[in-house]
Amino acid sequence: MAGNRQGSAVIPEVLQGNNIPVILILAALMVGIAALLPLVQTSLATSTGGNVSRLEQLREDWQTRLHEQEVNVARLGSLDRIESAAKVRLKMVAPDSVTYLRVDAPAPAPLKLPSRYLPTEKGPVESESLWEEFFGWIPLP
Amino acid sequence: MGKRRFTEVWRVWAVMAAIVLATVVVTLRLVQLQIVDHAQYAADARLIHYGQDTLADRRGALLDRNGYPLAASEAAFNVMVESRAWEDPAEAQAAADSLAEITDVSSAEMLEIVRDAEAFEIPVARGLNYGQGLAVRELGLPGVRLLEGSRRTYPEGNLAAQLLGFVGQENSGLTGLEIDLDSILGGSPGQVTYERDGIGNQLAFGNRSETPAQPGANVVLSIDRYIQRLAEQELDRAISDSEAKGGTIIVIQPETGQVLAMASRPTFDVTKPDLSDNSKQALFRNRAITDTYEPGSVFKLVTTAAALDLGLVTPETWWYDEGVVHVSDWSIYNWDLSANGSQTVQQLLSKSLNTGAAWLASLSGATNFYDYVERFGFGVTSDSGLSGEVDGRVRTPENDPTGWRPVDMATNSFGQGIAVTPLQMVMAVAAIANDGVLMKPQLVNEIVGPLGTQAVEPETVRQVMSPESARTLLDMMGVVVDGISTAYADVPGYAFGGKTGTANIATENGGYKPDAYISSFVGVAPLDNPEIAVLVKIDEPEGVPWGTVVAGPAFSRLAEQALAYLKVPPTEAALVSSLQD
Repeated sequence: MAGNRQGSAVIPEVLQGNNIPVILILAALMVGIAALLPLVQTSLATSTGGNVSRLEQLREDWQTRLHEQEVNVARLGSLDRIESAAKVRLKMVAPDSVTYLRVDAPAPAPLKLPSRYLPTEKGPVESESLWEEFFGWIPLP
Repeated sequence: MGKRRFTEVWRVWAVMAAIVLATVVVTLRLVQLQIVDHAQYAADARLIHYGQDTLADRRGALLDRNGYPLAASEAAFNVMVESRAWEDPAEAQAAADSLAEITDVSSAEMLEIVRDAEAFEIPVARGLNYGQGLAVRELGLPGVRLLEGSRRTYPEGNLAAQLLGFVGQENSGLTGLEIDLDSILGGSPGQVTYERDGIGNQLAFGNRSETPAQPGANVVLSIDRYIQRLAEQELDRAISDSEAKGGTIIVIQPETGQVLAMASRPTFDVTKPDLSDNSKQALFRNRAITDTYEPGSVFKLVTTAAALDLGLVTPETWWYDEGVVHVSDWSIYNWDLSANGSQTVQQLLSKSLNTGAAWLASLSGATNFYDYVERFGFGVTSDSGLSGEVDGRVRTPENDPTGWRPVDMATNSFGQGIAVTPLQMVMAVAAIANDGVLMKPQLVNEIVGPLGTQAVEPETVRQVMSPESARTLLDMMGVVVDGISTAYADVPGYAFGGKTGTANIATENGGYKPDAYISSFVGVAPLDNPEIAVLVKIDEPEGVPWGTVVAGPAFSRLAEQALAYLKVPPTEAALVSSLQD
């Protein structure tokens, strides 16, 4: 009897009596949930990867559109087009004679290279995984 | 009994032998597949499971000196089709029909391309613009994907076509600056290798390795698009007015040697170069550096420069023109067969007397004369960096001791019997305008790349003559144009100098082409501080061939507009304080 009493003292009260099936079910559920975690993680990673690809595609699309617009701007600024617009639309004609006026103001500054054709500065790529972020939270010395 | 047993045993052995044989055959086949042909099958498997693309970033642009693009790149897409995806004729036809509505390629052509393809994947349409590419992508056809590349475009049309050149299908330069600067403009290609599914699409999480492509650098040229256009317009007009066969105009900034314009005719359509016709390929070459000509009287500037710089003459030195000079067994006459009597050096230059030039050369002596010819940059390439540039031909006592004769120097003195490129000629004149300093012709001002901007500094070749002699000669050039009618040479508001030339055209057999001339005019403006040196050269004009008449007006119109554009102040006399003055 004394041995039985000692044994019941060792087994936690919660495991005694009718609690065991409940605990087993809970444990099974926890194991099931734990098993699902990698799936959820993979799913999240897949979804994030898809978003990254989509955004990269979007960025490339905008980059392409930008380059196309740059070329369009260059075409619109071409000398042939400007002359045509001046003659046809604005009805301008070449002068018969030129008069040079003495003015006190300095000549306008020469044109600078338009920045639109300078290559895009590529900064350092910041990539931090979830794990790196997680470890970043731990106050390590 | 014995016979029956033998039969049974034989059958067993036969079956066993068949099994062993089959096993051996299968084993051998496996050995062949897995060991002997392993590499081939592994490669085939990789080809099916892995795709590989060469990545190309944007080719750098060729910009004019103010940053306006003369040649730029815009995105273009190639439609790639996997041959296996179009094995079913009905599906292939439907897909090709859909693509044909978007691209410029017919469905029949596409089907034929895929049918004849030996590669796993083949382009069926090239150079689609962004809108077309988007439409193809939205179709979502299996086994069809877009490969992004770029297409060369020329915002200013055919401006400076021969100088810029063009690129091939693979975006590599084929002619002109496009090939000379290919390593700078082209950047470096990258490569991507990826795992793909059964119909060729990239697996979202398959193996993937990528070496990114590096973009090409933009190159800022010394060319000014406005002056280049002026040069081309004036060249076209001069050729049209004189019904000439072609010509060249070059505009140089004397102080730096920068080439502001370089135009030649005939030319070609740089947006659609015709590579199929070999006879048209001559149009691609930049005649300003690849073709030589005998410069004629323009070369008297070099002869005069030598005599002036050696201190043998001044502009006022007198000389007696008998109308003929005898050298060995040869007689040299003036272009108009005139005999002018007592003349100054200035007058012999103004009247462009051949006899006077021959006299100046003989005064200098062959050694000194050819020394100056070489110092001015003749006989060697100008080191412009343009491929195809030729040396020209100067025969001297040193380089051809047996072939050279004294009469050669006499004819060389007035620009015959010597072959120069238009660029060499204008650079020599620019040296006179630059206090006697010969500069290296500069076509690239800056290289703007991902790592920063690299500026190209003007490069001095040598001091050809003293600044004082150069100034004197420059003033003499001013007097030369004073003697030309303003109908042919006039730059209102500016003092300028120049020299005309009308030269015979040498033939391959050593003679001269009958009734065919090259008319030219070299000029500098403004005279007190030259900002531009210009060569106008017109090939084989019909009618009056004189350089004054044929090339002078083109120089005048070009210089007047270019100086105003460059904001060069006119002479004090041309300025008014108000419109009422």
